[in-house]
Amino acid sequence: MSPDTRSLPIVGDSALDTGVPRSWMTTRLDYVVNWARRNSIWPMPFGTACCAIEMMAAAASKYDIARFGMERMSFSPRQADLMIVAGRVTYKLAPVLRRVWDQMPQPKWCISMGACASSGGMFDNYTIVQGIDQIVPVDVYVPGCPPRPEGLIYALMMVQEKIKGESLANDRLRMESPGSVGRPNLPPEAIELVAQPFGNSTRQNRGSGIEATSAVQQPRDRIERLIEHRD
Amino acid sequence: MSTTLDIQLVEGAARPESVEADVAITALRRTFGAVLNETHLDAIGVPVATVAPGSVHDVLTFLKTDADLLFDMLVDVMGVDLGGGRPIQVWYQLWSTQHGRQLRVVTHLPVSDLTVRSVVDLWQAANWLERESYDLYGITFEGHPDLRRILMPENYDEGFPLRKDFPLRGRFGRPEQVRRALSRDREDVYAREELALAGMLPDSDDEPVPALDVPGDMSPEDLTDGLEGERMLVNLGPQHPATHGVLRLVLQLDGETVERCIPHLGYLHTGFEKTCEYREWNQIVPYTDRMDYLAPMLYNVGYALAVESLLGVEITPRCRVLRVVLSELNRILGHLLWLGTNAIDLGAFTVFLYTFQERERIYNLHEAYCGARLTTSVTRIGGMLADLPPGWTAACREFVDGLATTLDESERLLTKNSIWLARTLDVGALDGETAINFGLTGPNLRASGVAYDVRKARPYLGYEEYDFDVPVGAHGDTYDRYLVRLEEMRQSMRILSQALDRLPDGPVNVEDPAVILPPKSESMASIDSMIAHFKLVMEGLQVPAGDVWYSIEASKGELGFGIVSDGGSKPVRCRFRGPSFVNLGVLAHLSEGYLLSDLIAVNASLDIVLGEIDR
Repeated sequence: MSPDTRSLPIVGDSALDTGVPRSWMTTRLDYVVNWARRNSIWPMPFGTACCAIEMMAAAASKYDIARFGMERMSFSPRQADLMIVAGRVTYKLAPVLRRVWDQMPQPKWCISMGACASSGGMFDNYTIVQGIDQIVPVDVYVPGCPPRPEGLIYALMMVQEKIKGESLANDRLRMESPGSVGRPNLPPEAIELVAQPFGNSTRQNRGSGIEATSAVQQPRDRIERLIEHRD
Repeated sequence: MSTTLDIQLVEGAARPESVEADVAITALRRTFGAVLNETHLDAIGVPVATVAPGSVHDVLTFLKTDADLLFDMLVDVMGVDLGGGRPIQVWYQLWSTQHGRQLRVVTHLPVSDLTVRSVVDLWQAANWLERESYDLYGITFEGHPDLRRILMPENYDEGFPLRKDFPLRGRFGRPEQVRRALSRDREDVYAREELALAGMLPDSDDEPVPALDVPGDMSPEDLTDGLEGERMLVNLGPQHPATHGVLRLVLQLDGETVERCIPHLGYLHTGFEKTCEYREWNQIVPYTDRMDYLAPMLYNVGYALAVESLLGVEITPRCRVLRVVLSELNRILGHLLWLGTNAIDLGAFTVFLYTFQERERIYNLHEAYCGARLTTSVTRIGGMLADLPPGWTAACREFVDGLATTLDESERLLTKNSIWLARTLDVGALDGETAINFGLTGPNLRASGVAYDVRKARPYLGYEEYDFDVPVGAHGDTYDRYLVRLEEMRQSMRILSQALDRLPDGPVNVEDPAVILPPKSESMASIDSMIAHFKLVMEGLQVPAGDVWYSIEASKGELGFGIVSDGGSKPVRCRFRGPSFVNLGVLAHLSEGYLLSDLIAVNASLDIVLGEIDR
């Protein structure tokens, strides 16, 4: 994508001869930095399952994310800006995910691609993390099982939008505490709350008998209690 | 330089009329009469022999070595827990490539003493299969060389997940599971053997190997001498582009040569088998295509066929041919992804773009039929989710006609490319006997010269009526595996054209109200249909009690479904024998002694998919 020069107040235009050399322009520092950041995002593909195949499709001939300056897949987290978590994440893989995220330098963003990464999806069982936001902070969630490549591209564009609104003056935005390295992203109470089972999907096995799980929560209860918790 | 493909065929032997008539059962009764507890034929007529736990090893040794039987391939080892403190069963599924015969040996282990002798000394394939049963059921295999967890973390302490008394969501709460996951130490992620190799075993008195003390005036030659015999332990994965997902390999290197390769699995262990015990028969279909997301419809079709064999339902002629069309389309889909990623791993990017273009065409066909691109869930027990939309067969024919060009183009880029030849010829060669011993199936086995294809050996869906060949390699190296898969795509195109020509008209679903929902128009109009609809929705499909181990030829090899039903609306056991899980077991054997870069080529040529390996 070429820079949107029309929004840049160009000094030295032939129509307005102020005597300043034509190779100069003035703009806001935030604008230039964000422009550079958002148009060459290097993704770190953390692909595990089906969603990774759609991520490959997004990079291949038909969808071609090179159009957005994102074709440079960075398989080393040290040279990456955006982690795309595509697929289910198991508890065995969780420390790897956190390590990769901790190894990425700021500024960095994260896309949670697909139902499994966002919420555990159809696997509410002993091995799947019920949403990667318990492990790492997430900027954009992409719904779908798996999302289409267009869905991923839309998420990438939303990250671009988000970058537009950032400011270098806000020093809290990109601050990281060394104490958070290797730690869960949410406190235990919040994890308990967001990982409740839906419906009766986890207690219907005749062979093993009824198992004890906590009361079934409706979505609205969760949201209210989560808001309470955050206050 | 050139490798020829000679075509061989193995025709399957007929299944026995009754269990008494079976050769293997008769021989077992003659030799092991005292320990043979029970025999029966399962839902598809495979003889099953139940033997006492103490004599499993003797019985299996006899079956493998007896000249009339020669069950040389151990296809599957699986556990079955019926719950309620009943004994845990272990199933050994056998196949004789010589005689074209199947047999299942079952033993019942009391929960108080879950011990049986390992058969790794007979079949290398048992290595990972037994480790899996140990991991998920806690069955101890005595004499196993490396009995530790394979899918769960090394020190997983919530128990054995597939036992009936293990809750679906695990024993600990979610916060505790997250906390434990993030506070794993190195004993959780490395085997003790690896820690010993690195000199980091915590309770040993060995000091870690001190760093080399290099004096400043040493010449480079002295430095090399000092490093003679030094070994390096390298961790490859789980986050590495060349491991096709989240496979992790711990490698001991001497320079660039791989001396030891220890695979670590389970980073994508999704608990499919456990979760499916909590789902109704038709609800399991969406789970099946998330295991092999590279060729999803093959899993859909295989699962439906397995359950239908338990039900005794005969699907309609149109459905049979339609399933062949979709199976072969997905075989091509899976092989295309393998071709593209294999080429990327060896440094050729163009092929990936070519093959993905063709994959997008197949995705369009998928979308036109079922609305999804790769999580298709097309089958239902007793039929399909719907009939084909108008114009679909013409579009499919158009795709088949166009594919030949792309295959030719890709082949022009690779088959005689000197870099490709240098990277693949004689790399990771495997002879047929070893391949059978490792339980390899699919193109990997056929590249080693064994013409075992389930479509020919035990035809299903009427595959015996189609005219196609089974390509077989001569050297079993990486290049042969490439040639065999390319030829398989061409054979699939042949089957596709034949199947599209003979696709009969008629209904796509069976007309059995106990199996298939009545059409919406009818269920609102007639009371009978409404009752059938109500019963099927409220009670679910009821599958008669029984057991079956059904297999089809998936794109990666023999895909088995070991299913036990107690007559209810959910399976008691739903085992998926993923072909790439067993195929990957040969990786260490193939790569040791080769360069690290050859390991990448061998791994790519095995065509693995982690969703199916880790399940």
